[in-house]
Amino acid sequence: MTTGALIFAINNGATDYAAMARWNADNIRRHLGIPTHIITNDQSPGTNSRHFTDLGHVAWHNLSRADAYDLSPWDRTLLLDADYVVATDTLGVLLEADQDLLAHDSAYDITGCNDFHGLNSFGEHEMPMWWATVMMFRRSDHARLVFETMRMVRDHWSHYRDLYKIRQATYRNDHALSIALLVCQGHTLDHAAIPWSLATLTPEHELTSLTQDRYRVDFANTENHRRWISVAQDFHAMGKTQLEAVIADHS
Amino acid sequence: MPITAERGYVIPAIDREGTDYRACAHRLADSIRSWHPTAEITVITRDDLPHGDQGGFANDWQCWYISPYRQTIKLEADMLATGPLDHWWTLFEHRDVVISQGARDFYGRHTDCRRYRKIFDDNHLPDVYNAITYWRRSTTAQEFFDLVRSIFTHWTDYRTLLRFPDQDPTTDVVYAVAAVIMRPDRVTLPEGMGPRITHMKPGINPIRTADWTQELIWESDPARINTVAQWGLLHYHVKDWRPNE
Repeated sequence: MTTGALIFAINNGATDYAAMARWNADNIRRHLGIPTHIITNDQSPGTNSRHFTDLGHVAWHNLSRADAYDLSPWDRTLLLDADYVVATDTLGVLLEADQDLLAHDSAYDITGCNDFHGLNSFGEHEMPMWWATVMMFRRSDHARLVFETMRMVRDHWSHYRDLYKIRQATYRNDHALSIALLVCQGHTLDHAAIPWSLATLTPEHELTSLTQDRYRVDFANTENHRRWISVAQDFHAMGKTQLEAVIADHS
Repeated sequence: MPITAERGYVIPAIDREGTDYRACAHRLADSIRSWHPTAEITVITRDDLPHGDQGGFANDWQCWYISPYRQTIKLEADMLATGPLDHWWTLFEHRDVVISQGARDFYGRHTDCRRYRKIFDDNHLPDVYNAITYWRRSTTAQEFFDLVRSIFTHWTDYRTLLRFPDQDPTTDVVYAVAAVIMRPDRVTLPEGMGPRITHMKPGINPIRTADWTQELIWESDPARINTVAQWGLLHYHVKDWRPNE
């Protein structure tokens, strides 16, 4: 059985997700000992290319997280956002799990300043949210069905947006995953989840690097006092600019 | 009342305030039979009350005298069985009385909403819901329903013991007071065990209006609310909801 990571890194004008993914691929190799497969529209060396760390670049069209099942070359895949910082071997637990698909069903603010109640649900009626930031799936009927359902949601986004009364027009992978898991689990919320919450760093906090796998987060607490914490764990860095600066610092 | 069966469901359906509880009760009975075709079910109407109509909730204790079953599960009428219930008998049968505790939202999550439970919190009463109540013919159950009758009958005295009591007691409050007097562990299961109703009151669910049936998308067969499958008992709260008509 082959095992590896898969990172979607679709660059936009503001953020070089491909650079983030390459940096994270190195972290993944160091901590988890598995290869990484990056899917990107990186302009170098070709336009609309699919970059394989081991295979080079090939063309792609209309690729998204919902296509991950078809795009992954692995039997067991760790699917990560480019801005998810791997600083430990914690995710190795997921690679040993006897589950077809796992994702986080809750996230929290690493500084404890923000209540994520509103972020852990979506739509006017607060549908519980599953986060697509970190997923583990293995080749199986169930995982294939979940990704097919995500594509159905993506391709009929206006319908699902109306159904769940989602105010934002923008399609989100998190919403598609949440709906897909609900549908594929018999319209119940009982799907197996990653057994810990998704550590998240929101953009208003300052992220800098202390050592290779230890970070400093400066923030104002709820009483507006300046505080800082040292972080040596995996986390989702929502502040892309700060993460780019950290990566540049490491390079 | 002579015993006609070992186990059965009793559904009080005393119409009042323009609410057709009999129609609700028969819908509930139909929904139970859809899961358990041979279930014994008795719908209690005003004509069945051996001590006459005591008015509103105060008729509740008469169910004890009317039930023809050795083991009874009494259910409030304005609910629907959205899944099988018969595993409850196994859970309950070692006890004499079990009053359900707590409620869920339509996602199945235990609610921490206390908007409707202020009197319970102010008086440290157990969080009981009479919507699901089990008893077996026993001295404990006799004691419980005698107490319930006494509290309803002498509410003006009992209410002086409570902080911020209602003018007229609800069955839930009377059951809670009875539970305290008897000791809660004699008439409830340990917290977190046993069935909880899905309660569709607005404070419990993330909805904006009083009428969830107009706000949320619902399906009746199978029962889903906003695409989420329902299980156990759905206390739909909006009494004129007609899911299958």
